[in-house]
Amino acid sequence: MPAIFPRWTNNIPLAVAVLGPFALAGLVGFVWYYFSPKYTDVGYRPIQPVPFSHKLHAGDMGMDCRYCHNTVERAAVAAVPPAATCMNCHSLVKTDSPRLKLVRDSFETGETIPWVRVHQLPDFAFFDHRPHLAAGVGCSSCHGRIDQMTIVEMDQPLSMGWCLECHRNPEPNLRPVDQITNMAWDPATDGKAYDAAKDPKRKRDVNPPEHCSGCHR
Amino acid sequence: MARTNQIQAIALCLGTLGALAGCQGNRSELPPVHLINQMDFQQRFDAQEVNEFFQTVDCAKAHNPNQCEGRAARLPLAGTVAVGQLHDDDELYRGRGPDGRLLDRLPAAIKLSTELMARGEERYNIYCQPCHDYTGGGQGVATQRGGGFSVAPKNLNDPQIRAMPLGHFFDVITNGKGTMMPYAAQIPAQDRWAISVWVRTLQVARTPEEAK
Repeated sequence: MPAIFPRWTNNIPLAVAVLGPFALAGLVGFVWYYFSPKYTDVGYRPIQPVPFSHKLHAGDMGMDCRYCHNTVERAAVAAVPPAATCMNCHSLVKTDSPRLKLVRDSFETGETIPWVRVHQLPDFAFFDHRPHLAAGVGCSSCHGRIDQMTIVEMDQPLSMGWCLECHRNPEPNLRPVDQITNMAWDPATDGKAYDAAKDPKRKRDVNPPEHCSGCHR
Repeated sequence: MARTNQIQAIALCLGTLGALAGCQGNRSELPPVHLINQMDFQQRFDAQEVNEFFQTVDCAKAHNPNQCEGRAARLPLAGTVAVGQLHDDDELYRGRGPDGRLLDRLPAAIKLSTELMARGEERYNIYCQPCHDYTGGGQGVATQRGGGFSVAPKNLNDPQIRAMPLGHFFDVITNGKGTMMPYAAQIPAQDRWAISVWVRTLQVARTPEEAK
């Protein structure tokens, strides 16, 4: 009676024993690298209906973030401005630019400009800008150097692990409250020189929540 | 030999796969992957989101322009006032006294303080400085680019403007004037008064000694 399994099958257990761990490690590494929001989310930069350049307005012209995103200190969201905010200047400058046609039409008719949302947290996480600004977390800490972006992209993963990294140790990401919109603030140099605990303008310690219901309600 | 070829082929496949998948942080126009879609996008609306229900109405047939533009946020009906939004303090919200004339002082609800002036400076530098510049001279950065403004912003240090009552600046910020658009929607009333105080401060600081 001939053997059911040919002789080379004797190598299978050995091959599994030797290659198996590598395959497993490869799979774990693959999931670790490619399933991370650092891969799936960072670098997302949708094409917007109006080619608005933050590099021009916030960078070269040095306009404050809050000129347009004026709700950020008063509401949970930093709202996208209405066309009326654009028209404050663009009724007087670049008044017939074809790139601004959608803005002018929106201002005239009240139709919505279909801006594409870049930073979107899952609906089960309740983020509020106000306490973050009040604690002295700068815009650029989460949104990156918006003043250098012609097309806005996600700079940070905005994942739960990333949030908790700062909630467990907020000190390196704090700055004086009057510097929150300063895009050039460098945590490596300015941040090192600043000690939130010794800032006389701070009325209470920063104490970010680490419990579930801090963000999930 | 055959084995080396196999290993090379596998390495090549893995390398190609890696190159196709790219690295962390690569730029992409593709939206982020949502592994649990129904939890990430629940049956509720975020601020400024689209509500498709309101896009189904034909704008030409809508009773109310509010019905057809597809916004999840609804505008209040005409003539309704939300709690706390009556704004019946004429001094604070319109800058006018009982005689209907513009105030030349702060409204009773606001006290002059160093905090108010610091707030005014900060708010001025956010909302006014792009056109009127840091000193009120009307040479702001927005007027220097893209061909310039067709009508230049006012120099706030003009003797004519310096002679205006404090309420005038509040009124102009609130309602606009000439080619300047109203800023009432962008700046709360208290901050508009703080800015008015700062405008006055700039004017006083830049008034020549002999004119004081």
